[in-house]
Amino acid sequence: MAKVIVFMVASLLTSTTAMASGGDGGVANPFAGDLGNVIWTLVIFILVVVVLGKFAWGPILSALQKREDFITDSLSSAKKDRTDAEARLAEYTTKLEEARAEATAMVEEGRRDAEVLKKQIEDDAKAEADKMVERAKREIGLATDTAIKELYDLSGKLAVGIASKIITKELDAQQHSRLISESIEELTAAQKN
Amino acid sequence: MTFSILASGSPLDHVIQHAIKTTPMDLESKLGLFGWVLTPKGEITILSDQITMIIAAGILLTMVLPMLATKRRGTDEIGSMVPTGFANFLETLCNFLRNDVARPALQEHTDRFIKYIWSVFFFVLTLNLLGLLPFPAISAYFGTHIGGAATGNIYTTATLALLTMFMMVFNGFRIGGMHYVAHFCPGPLWLAPLLVPVEIIGLIAKIFALSVRLFANMMAGHILLAVLVGFILTAWGSVGSTGGLLIAIPVVISSIAITMLELFVAFLQAYIFAFLTTLFISMCVVFPHDDHDESHAAAH
Repeated sequence: MAKVIVFMVASLLTSTTAMASGGDGGVANPFAGDLGNVIWTLVIFILVVVVLGKFAWGPILSALQKREDFITDSLSSAKKDRTDAEARLAEYTTKLEEARAEATAMVEEGRRDAEVLKKQIEDDAKAEADKMVERAKREIGLATDTAIKELYDLSGKLAVGIASKIITKELDAQQHSRLISESIEELTAAQKN
Repeated sequence: MTFSILASGSPLDHVIQHAIKTTPMDLESKLGLFGWVLTPKGEITILSDQITMIIAAGILLTMVLPMLATKRRGTDEIGSMVPTGFANFLETLCNFLRNDVARPALQEHTDRFIKYIWSVFFFVLTLNLLGLLPFPAISAYFGTHIGGAATGNIYTTATLALLTMFMMVFNGFRIGGMHYVAHFCPGPLWLAPLLVPVEIIGLIAKIFALSVRLFANMMAGHILLAVLVGFILTAWGSVGSTGGLLIAIPVVISSIAITMLELFVAFLQAYIFAFLTTLFISMCVVFPHDDHDESHAAAH
């Protein structure tokens, strides 16, 4: 092969230009061609493979691969982000629900406490008021009793004084008291009836 | 001048290659080469119309594609991943070949071979498309022959197909290893004398079909166009200029249609060549895993 190529190069420098018409005078052969075509095709094609392999296909292939990787990465990270976002959303929804429930519970508890407190205050106030009324009643009763007692005493004394003045007969202190007690009992019995 | 070229002989004359420079004759006896690698006169073509197109394709590809490959929207992390302008087209094609053609067949070996597959696709595509440009008619005015579909030459397509075979066999041994050796005898061992030759013939047939498919498709389209245009000259010659011009109307319309079809075929054949190259390589490097071997064998 090397011999042939050397021969061709030498001939290129020395040989004459062939007839441009190409007509050999014979019948045209569709399979026309020779080693020249083979060598040129081989040389040019291998040159094309080498040059393009380095300067065209290399960049294109790396760009295609890079883009594929980039798309794959982007899609997977997008998917991951979405999953994460969904998980976070679910988490936040749960938290929100919990917070809402807690808030409701707190409000409810507050209201319950308030109710209890209100009731307690009412009860206390009522109890206090009742107590005061009771005490007032008692005091009134006491005062009434005292007044009545004083009235009885006074009326007893008056009666004794009047009676002693009238009948002039002095009663001793014991009889005097017994008389008063009897009179009070009579009065009390009369009052009850 | 154009007329004389167009009118010369059979339509095939416009499709086959025309030498611009050749070595001296009778190399068969001088260098001891096989006759079939030489021209009928025993020369080697140094430069021809089709070879200029191969060189043009090489220059175009090595100049334009690296420029497009690095065309990005920005230099930051995101911008460097976004192609802009025509680079989008390049990357769309590359991405399609990688994801929809190579990956299903080559699987984990995709990125190992994708550079070769891209090169095959764009090389064949460029040669196919350059073949559609009217370089021959233009260059004929300047008394020379430039242009023509280089992929309409069986030697060019066979070279590419043989490179595919090299990729198959070399990587078969390198990556496929024992699996690759074993696939030459898919049946029981006593059938090896029958199966191994069949498998080897199968390999050669694949490569043969690969080269002929591209060659025949490109050549057929160009012959068809040459025949169509030839109608005008035939009519011109037989019934005069009026007849020639009248015939020219349907001929031009149908030529445009056929050229559109050829444009599609240029892409289609480049795709098929790259696709089959991928498939053939994958047959040599991708084997079902050991645990699937039995079910795989049973399926046969």
